[in-house]
Amino acid sequence: MEFNLEEGKHLYDECSTLILPALSIGNVGQLAVDLLIASTNAERIGCLDDPNVLPCVGNDAYIPTPQGDLALPLEAYESPSSALTLIQQRSPVVKGRMIEYAKNLADFAAACGKKHVIILSSLDFGRWQTIDMSSGQQIYYLSNTTVDGADDQCEKLGWKRMKEYDPNQKLWKYLNTLAEGSVSQDDISLLEDDLGEEDYYPSLPFAAMFSCFKAKGLKVTCLLCYCSEGDNIPDAFHLAEAACNLVGLRPDTFKGNEGGGWVIPFSWQSVYGPPPDMSLF
Amino acid sequence: MEDVLTELPPPSRFFLEDLNNFTPPTPPLPSPFLLLSNPNSKTPLRPSLLIIALSTPSLYLLHHLSSKTLTGTLVLPEISSSGNSVEPSLKDKSCNLYAITHANESIILANFQYSVPSERTHAIAKTLIGQQIIPERVLIFDCIQSRNFRGRLSTDDTFALKLETAVERKGVPLLKSLNYFPSGSVIEGLGAALLGRCQMKNIKGSLCVSWPELGGSVTSTLKSVLLKDVLPGLELKIDANGEDEGLRFGHKHHYIDSDLYT
Repeated sequence: MEFNLEEGKHLYDECSTLILPALSIGNVGQLAVDLLIASTNAERIGCLDDPNVLPCVGNDAYIPTPQGDLALPLEAYESPSSALTLIQQRSPVVKGRMIEYAKNLADFAAACGKKHVIILSSLDFGRWQTIDMSSGQQIYYLSNTTVDGADDQCEKLGWKRMKEYDPNQKLWKYLNTLAEGSVSQDDISLLEDDLGEEDYYPSLPFAAMFSCFKAKGLKVTCLLCYCSEGDNIPDAFHLAEAACNLVGLRPDTFKGNEGGGWVIPFSWQSVYGPPPDMSLF
Repeated sequence: MEDVLTELPPPSRFFLEDLNNFTPPTPPLPSPFLLLSNPNSKTPLRPSLLIIALSTPSLYLLHHLSSKTLTGTLVLPEISSSGNSVEPSLKDKSCNLYAITHANESIILANFQYSVPSERTHAIAKTLIGQQIIPERVLIFDCIQSRNFRGRLSTDDTFALKLETAVERKGVPLLKSLNYFPSGSVIEGLGAALLGRCQMKNIKGSLCVSWPELGGSVTSTLKSVLLKDVLPGLELKIDANGEDEGLRFGHKHHYIDSDLYT
């Protein structure tokens, strides 16, 4: 993975927390990072090039009158006032290369001296085993603070540990060995059985990233919410707010006009395509 | 009437295998490589401009440049050259490189005449830019992909838009007459990989995307861009029926666009 620092920019030492999305249903993690970048007024400091990510280009996604600043598949932003680094991912990973990509990300984060990595991801509502109607839009988490994935700070924030995480389960163990480099992905034949229901969570991109960052000795927290595909913007707000709570940011101090101070990225105006052709009516 | 409770959901934005860490990767392919007319040269080519044509109208126009010399080809080992002709032809599955001399500038033209999967584009971009060819400036012609465009597209409309690298935007832009591609839409594929490569290498790069994908009107639009902004005064040898041929060229007959019929 190559990192191209923009001219005149540098990495801020105080930005020791890295927030990034994992590809997931509804693109919620990516939408949440968009919202955080726009609302913290983070500045782009560079772009990353990884052969495991499919290419895409576009115009600036954030400012109201885009001036042609090139948007790329992997971009790094920093907000020194919030002590945050954010990486946005705009395109999918090459099929079968998720673990390689996660390893490269982990190498980059470690090389930049990041201390805490927060991964934002959604989970498929269709897989939700225990419906807890009393908790509304519950945030779930997974942390490497303890062996079973629990973290006191997350518990105090009212979040629930992802109980499907079992470090001794076959695929979670296999992910760990892949992340540590003990086996190669060619050894997937070691998994003799077909994948079952309990294999859903470790098969997701956030799990690969969690395992790879953990293997690098970084503190890593995954923030997760269940959703279905559709208009996932409300889910993005929910996840972004959770990230703010974790790092001690208050959205009502952001400079936006939306409820709570959020700044809506300019590119969201067309996120679901153009408005209907009114000449039809 | 379909049962709304149990009917199949609409297609997901992701395929299941896109979100599965354990999807087996496709077997690796041999790297693309350049075959140049001077294979013994140890120094890279350093043209002032590298033009890469990907879209049908740009391929048609640049194929008809009269003052170009075949100087090499990009080889993708997985692409068969079965059916290619000895003399370069628009029907070939090839990416030939040509040298053009124009107004004392050295220009290399790459006519990319086949489609490649997105997974392959990173390697192709790396081969074309920054290794054996180190251009001062790159211009890529591609087309707008309707599936990735968030505005309205009608085949009655004809237009071209641009994206540029940061270093291109700092100076006097090559494509002065074009507006920027709108925010919220994206370009993917080889054009994106090439422009991304320019950005990473701090090379002046411009991507010109046009709509519709083929036809006489968009061919005329690109001809105007070429003659006004890029290669003023250049001779394009297009005969009286050239505009009509531009309409017909690119209409692919997929059922015969196969190695079975070469």
